[in-house]
Amino acid sequence: MFGKPMKTWMLSALTAVMVFTLTTACSSSNDGKKPDSGSKEKVITLRMIESLTSPSRTALIKASIDKFMAQNTNIKVELISPPFDQADNKIRTMLAAKQPLDVLEVRDLNVAEFVNNNYVEPLNDYTGSWSDFGTVTAVAKSVASVKDKLYFIPNGLYQRQLFYRADWLKEAGINAPVTYEELVNASVKLTDAAKNRYGFSFRGGPGANGVPDTLIQAYDADKINVDDAMFLKDGGTIYSSPEAKTALDLYVKLYKEGSPPDSINWGFQEQVQAFTSGVTAFLLQDPDVIQVLGENMQEGTWATAPMPTGPSGKAMISAGGAGWGITSHSENKEAAWKLITFLSSPEENTQLSKSHGTVPIHSSATEDEFFQKGPYKTLLDMTNKPDTFINFKPPFEYPANGQWGTVAMESGQAMLLGQTSVEDTLTKWNEYWAKAKADMNK
Amino acid sequence: MKPRILTGLKVLYLALHFVIMVFPLYWIVITSLKPQKDIFSFPLQYWPKQFTLDNYIQIFKISKFHIYIFNSLLVAVLAAAIVIFIATLSAYVMARFQFRGHKQIMMAFFVTQMLPGFIALAPLYLLMADLDLINSRMSLIICYTVMLIPFSTIMLRGFFQRVPSSLEEAAMIDGCSRLTALLRVIIPVMLPGIASTFIFAFVQNWNELFMAVMFIDDEALKTLPVAMNSFVMKFDVDWGAMSAGTVLSVIPTVVLFAFAQRFIVEGLTQGAEKG
Amino acid sequence: MIALRKQRTYILLSLLPALVLLLIFTFYPFLQGVVMAFQNYVLFDLTNVRFIGFQNFVTAFQDAKFLKAMTNSAYWVFFSLTFQFLIGLSLALILRKPFKGRGVYQGFIFYSWALSGFLIGLIWKWMFNSQMGVINDLLMRIGLIDTRIGFLSDPDWAMSSVIIANVWYGIAFFAIMLLAALQSVPADLYEAADMDGAGSIRKFVNVTFPFILPTIIATTLLRAIWIFNDPTIIYGLTNGGPAGTTHILSSLMLDKIIYGGDYGMASAIGVTMIGILILYTIFYLFVTKSEKVGDF
Repeated sequence: MFGKPMKTWMLSALTAVMVFTLTTACSSSNDGKKPDSGSKEKVITLRMIESLTSPSRTALIKASIDKFMAQNTNIKVELISPPFDQADNKIRTMLAAKQPLDVLEVRDLNVAEFVNNNYVEPLNDYTGSWSDFGTVTAVAKSVASVKDKLYFIPNGLYQRQLFYRADWLKEAGINAPVTYEELVNASVKLTDAAKNRYGFSFRGGPGANGVPDTLIQAYDADKINVDDAMFLKDGGTIYSSPEAKTALDLYVKLYKEGSPPDSINWGFQEQVQAFTSGVTAFLLQDPDVIQVLGENMQEGTWATAPMPTGPSGKAMISAGGAGWGITSHSENKEAAWKLITFLSSPEENTQLSKSHGTVPIHSSATEDEFFQKGPYKTLLDMTNKPDTFINFKPPFEYPANGQWGTVAMESGQAMLLGQTSVEDTLTKWNEYWAKAKADMNK
Repeated sequence: MKPRILTGLKVLYLALHFVIMVFPLYWIVITSLKPQKDIFSFPLQYWPKQFTLDNYIQIFKISKFHIYIFNSLLVAVLAAAIVIFIATLSAYVMARFQFRGHKQIMMAFFVTQMLPGFIALAPLYLLMADLDLINSRMSLIICYTVMLIPFSTIMLRGFFQRVPSSLEEAAMIDGCSRLTALLRVIIPVMLPGIASTFIFAFVQNWNELFMAVMFIDDEALKTLPVAMNSFVMKFDVDWGAMSAGTVLSVIPTVVLFAFAQRFIVEGLTQGAEKG
Repeated sequence: MIALRKQRTYILLSLLPALVLLLIFTFYPFLQGVVMAFQNYVLFDLTNVRFIGFQNFVTAFQDAKFLKAMTNSAYWVFFSLTFQFLIGLSLALILRKPFKGRGVYQGFIFYSWALSGFLIGLIWKWMFNSQMGVINDLLMRIGLIDTRIGFLSDPDWAMSSVIIANVWYGIAFFAIMLLAALQSVPADLYEAADMDGAGSIRKFVNVTFPFILPTIIATTLLRAIWIFNDPTIIYGLTNGGPAGTTHILSSLMLDKIIYGGDYGMASAIGVTMIGILILYTIFYLFVTKSEKVGDF
C-alpha cells in the first residue's frame, strides 16, 4: 500500500535532487578558479578582459601573457575575450555585478563612464615604480587621463590618415589630395556608378560622426579651442560658425556625388571591404586597418597620405586609444600592475603595435625602422608638423560623448537623405553640445 | 490536360522556392571553399576559381572549433533533455487533470512567451552571479531549460490530449503507479511528439547567442555561436571562417532533422490534431 | 480520500520543477527588469539611480523614433506573418502527398529554420549590400535591373528588405507545422466530400480549412508574438538604419541597452511591448472566437 505513492514521491524527489545537483555542480566547478586560500604555494589568479577583440590580436596578447606567466610563476592570468561587438556591454555588466576582474581594457570612449561609476583605479601612484614610464609619450598619457588622473596604460594609439588607391589616381592623373576640397573633387571625378566605382569609402552607420566632426574642425581650425575641441575660443560650439556650414555642405556633396549611395548605412566593415574589394578610392581610417589592407590588396595598389586640411591649410588631428586599467574592486592590484607594466613595456608594446597595426606608446619605439617607412611614415610626418596638424584631445570627458555617435549618426543620415536641411542639422548638433557643456559644469 | 497544367505549376512553384531557399546556403558553401582573397574580389565568383579547405583548417587551428562544438552539443543536448523531462511531467498533469489554478498556470506559461528577454538579461546576470554560476556551462543549461519549459509544456500537452486516458488507467489497474504508467505506457506512444519537441528545443539552444556571450568567460567553455560572433571584428567580417563555421553549425541540426523527419511530422501530426 | 490526496500530491510534485524554475529564473529577474522602467537607470551614471515614475514612458512617447518603431513593428509583424503563413501553407498543400525525393526536398527548404537570427542577419546584410552584395550582382547579370538597388540604405527599400529576410527565415516553421496538421485530416472526411462531388477548392474550404483552423490560430498567434519580440534579424541587418527607418520596438530596446546603456528607457519600451502584446492577444482570441487563452 505504501509502495506506489512512495515510488512517485521518490521519483519526484529525484527530479528536485537532479535540478539541485545540477545547480550545485556548476558552483563547485567554479571553486577552482577563485583565488586560492588554503594551498601551500600562494598563486594569485588575475582575471583580465579585453574589448577590441579579434582572433589574431587575442593570440598576440595570449603569447605575451604566457611569457609573463613563465617569468612570474606565482601569478596565473585568465584572459576573457568576448566577441568585439558585445565586449563593452559585457564588461559593463561584469563591472556592475562586481564580478572578479583585475585587469580590463579601457577605451577612450568609455573611460569617463568607468571613472564616473568608480570602476577603475587611478594609476598615478603606481607609475613611480615603473622604469619605462619615462618614455611613454605625452599623447598616450593624455588619451588615458581624465582630469589629470591616469586611468589606463594604452596598448596602442589610433590616429587617422588617408588611404588611397594609388593605381586609380595615377590612371586618372590625380595627385593625392591635400585638402578636403581636393578630396571631394577627386572623389566626384573617380565616381562611375556604371562601373561600380566610387570615390570615397563613406561611413554613414555606426561611428559616422568621425568624418563630419573632423571636417568641421578643420574648417574651424583658426577659431577652435584646442583644449576643448568641440568648442570655439569664443565659447560657442564648433557647429555655430559660418565655416561649419561650408564644411557640412561639402560633406553632403561628398556623400551625394562621390560615395556609394549604400554607404549611408555602412559601418567599419563595409567601409573597409569596399576599399579592399576595389569599389572605392579613398578611405579615412586608423592604422590598425593596415593589416587588413595588406592581406587583401596587392602591394603598390594603395598608399597613404596625411589627413586632408581645411581652407587655412590646417587640420585638427587627434589620437585615440585603448589600454589596460585596474578595476577598483580588484584584490590583486599589485600583481595586476605588474602584468600591465609587462604588457606595456617597450618590447611587448612595440611588438603588438607592429603586428596589430597601432602606434606604439613609447617614444623610443618610433626610432624603430619599421615605423619610419610605409604606411606609418605619414603618421610620423603628421606628428612632425604640429603647426599644420594641430593635435587636440577629443571630448572623451563629456558624459554626453557616449551618446554622441548615435545622435550624430541618426541626424546625419536624415540630412544625407534630404529629410532635414544642413542648417537644421547644425542647429541640432549645436544644441546637443551646448547642453553637454551646461550639464558638465553643473 | 488540366491536371497536367496544375502539376506543372506546382513543380514550377517548388523549383522557384527551392532556388530562393537554397541560394544563400549555396553562397555560404562556396564562400567557405574560396581562398581568402577571392571572397571579395570582383567580378564575384559564382563558382570558385580555386578550391581550398583552408577556412575549415583555420577554424580548427586558430579558433579551436572542436571545443566549441563539444560545448554546444553538451549544453544543447542536456538542456533539451532536461526540458523534455520537466515539461513531460507538467504537460501530463495539465492535460489530464482539472484543478484550482489550472487556468492561471496555463496563463503563466503563455505569458512567458510575451516577455522580451533582453529586459531580464542584466538582472539574470546578477542572479547568476549571486548563485556563483557565472562562467559555468550550468548557467546556460539552466537558462535554456527555463526558456523552453513553457513552449515545450504547451506542445507536449497537445500530444498528451491525443492519447486516450484509458491507456494509463488500464495500466494502473494492473498495479502500476501513475508515474510508472506514464513512463512505461504513455511515453512510448508519444515518442514522435517528444522527438519533435526535443528537436525544437535543441535548435533553440544550439543557436542561442546573447546569454552565452554574457555568462561564459572561459575560452574552454564557450559555445559555437559565440565563437562565430568573434569573426565579426572591428574592420572585417572574416567571411571565410564565418561561412565555414556556418556550414559546420548547420550540419548537426540538418542531420537531426533528416534522421527524425518522420518522427517530427508524425509527432506534429498528432499534436496538430488537437490544435 | 486517500486517492484524492495522492492525486493532489502528484499534481503538485509534477508541476513543481517547472513552476519553481520559471519563478526563479524568469519571473523574478523579469520583475526586476520591469522595476527599471520606472527608474532613471543609465549605466553611465549608476550613482544616480532613482525612481522617476512614468518619466521614461513620457519621454518615449514624445520621441518620433519610438512612434516610428511602433508603426514599423506593425508592418514588420503583419507582412512577415502574412507571407510566412501564405507561402508556408501553399508549400504544405503541395508537399502533402508523397512524391519521389520529397524528403530531400524538405531537407533543403527547411534548413533556414536551423540557423540563428544573428547569422541570418549577417548573411543577408552581406548579400543585400548594393556594391559588394551578390543579389545586386545577380539581378544585374540577369538583366532585371541596370542600377544597383540600395536594399538596406534606401528608405523606400529598407523595411521591405528586412521583411524579406525575415519571411525567408520563417517560412519553414509554418510549412512544417501546417504540413503536419494537413496530414492529420482524416481521410474519410475527404471521401465524404468526394461523394458529394466537391471540387478541390470546395474541399479545401469545407474540409481542410476548418480542420486545421485550430492549428492556424495557435501558430499564427504564437508566431506573431515571437516575430514582434525578436530583434536579432534587424539588429544584424540594419540596426534600425538608415535614420531609424527600420527600427521596430524590440530592436530599439536592444539599441538602448547595447549602445546607450539606458536600461530604464529599454525597460519602459519593453513594458510597452508587453502591453501591446496582451491587448493583441485578447483582441486576436476575441476575433477568432477562440476563448480559451493559452489553451492549445
